[in-house]
Amino acid sequence: MGAQDLDLLSLASLLVFLIPVFYINRRLKLTINKTMTFSIIRMFIQLSFVGIYLEFLFKFNSPVLNIVYLLIMISIACQSILRSSNLKVLKFFIPVFFSLLLPFAIILLFFNAVVVRIDNLFEAKYMIPIGGMLLGNCLRSIIIGLNNFYSGIKKDEKVYLYSLSLFCSRIQALKPYFKESITASITPTIASMATIGLVSLPGMMTGQILGGSIPIVAIKYQIAIMLSIFYAEYFSTILSVLFSLKVGFNELDVLNQDIFISKK
Amino acid sequence: MINFESVHLKRNDKEIFSGFDFFVQKNEKILIQGKSGIGKTTLFKILLGFETIDKGRVTFNKKDIVKEHIKEIRHQIFYLSQDIDLKNKKVKSLLEEILEYNLLKNQDKTYFSDLLKFLDLNDIILNQSIKELSGGERQRIGLLIGFLLDRPVWLLDEPTSALDDTMKNKIMDCIIGQEKTIIIISHDDVWKKNNTIKIERW
Repeated sequence: MGAQDLDLLSLASLLVFLIPVFYINRRLKLTINKTMTFSIIRMFIQLSFVGIYLEFLFKFNSPVLNIVYLLIMISIACQSILRSSNLKVLKFFIPVFFSLLLPFAIILLFFNAVVVRIDNLFEAKYMIPIGGMLLGNCLRSIIIGLNNFYSGIKKDEKVYLYSLSLFCSRIQALKPYFKESITASITPTIASMATIGLVSLPGMMTGQILGGSIPIVAIKYQIAIMLSIFYAEYFSTILSVLFSLKVGFNELDVLNQDIFISKK
Repeated sequence: MINFESVHLKRNDKEIFSGFDFFVQKNEKILIQGKSGIGKTTLFKILLGFETIDKGRVTFNKKDIVKEHIKEIRHQIFYLSQDIDLKNKKVKSLLEEILEYNLLKNQDKTYFSDLLKFLDLNDIILNQSIKELSGGERQRIGLLIGFLLDRPVWLLDEPTSALDDTMKNKIMDCIIGQEKTIIIISHDDVWKKNNTIKIERW
């Protein structure tokens, strides 16, 4: 059994509530109507595409195809991470790509092999949605991590250089910024683990229950996915900072100024 | 021991050095004077590897300032920056961290308390954070770090600007009396009193 299908028209009926939203925005002179409309349209289009190619992926269920799909997703994630962190894509793409790929691949395979124990490790039904959830969350944490790290040092450059002169080694001078960025990036997930279920039911669980799973199964999956998300975030953030050091700093350990996208 | 040979450096379209030569012997004491903005601080930054020159050659103990030597070079230089850019944390934990990273953890405790006394600092300051300190206190904490690290080359950028006259004289004598290579950037006339100092006017 699955959830009842939604009629396209009845789905569109949800847009009715946009009318008061638009009205209030106008009265309050909030200038977000345009962005809002744009975002909603994008959501429709993007998800429709996802629907189409997920059907396609599920039908073929080919490991190679699934892996290619995830690699493309990682590349898109990289781009979006770097743009949001104000770092130059060309310089940072490779380090960030691998810092996403490594923990992601290990945890995803572990999840499929040891936790769910499916025979085909590359089964589309598991690999694609779980991979997507891991990626989406890593995206957020790496953005916070990288942003915090590089803008932190940029803002504090004199102090960083001065500690470099007092300590000698780059690792010692970078340590406080490293610590700060890791903490900032994983704090939201830690906080959400502590409050999950109290206020909101997580989206994955809701989806599974609607899809016909019994709640206890949905909950087990939710716990497994929360832990996996946390590990993937933790390791990919650490790796993203470590792997990017070579690009971020020159040979004499000074921050390269040309790594930032200049704001116009 | 420190050699600058026809160094060229341009920053933001501004010529800072063009064919600049500068030589320092071991244990020499040099005072650099001159208007601000002519690259006095940049000289220090080049030695520490914080700035890279466009042309020419800079050596420290006959070694080029490159990746392979930079750790060793930094380890021999005590640099006191003009604003004493110490990380904002408790003085005590800052000092502990610096000593630990420099493998000086087991330093003599009496030397430390003698230094505090000499610099007219008391124990209370150890529990304050860097941000709470006055300019003069920061300067003295900076110098305290210098004495604790005891590195052979000192680069001091306006080290006495926030100190009173008695303190200035006392500290100057102590700094200059050391068997170290010392370069000082200062507008302060107190340094001119000492005749072992070579004065460079830029």
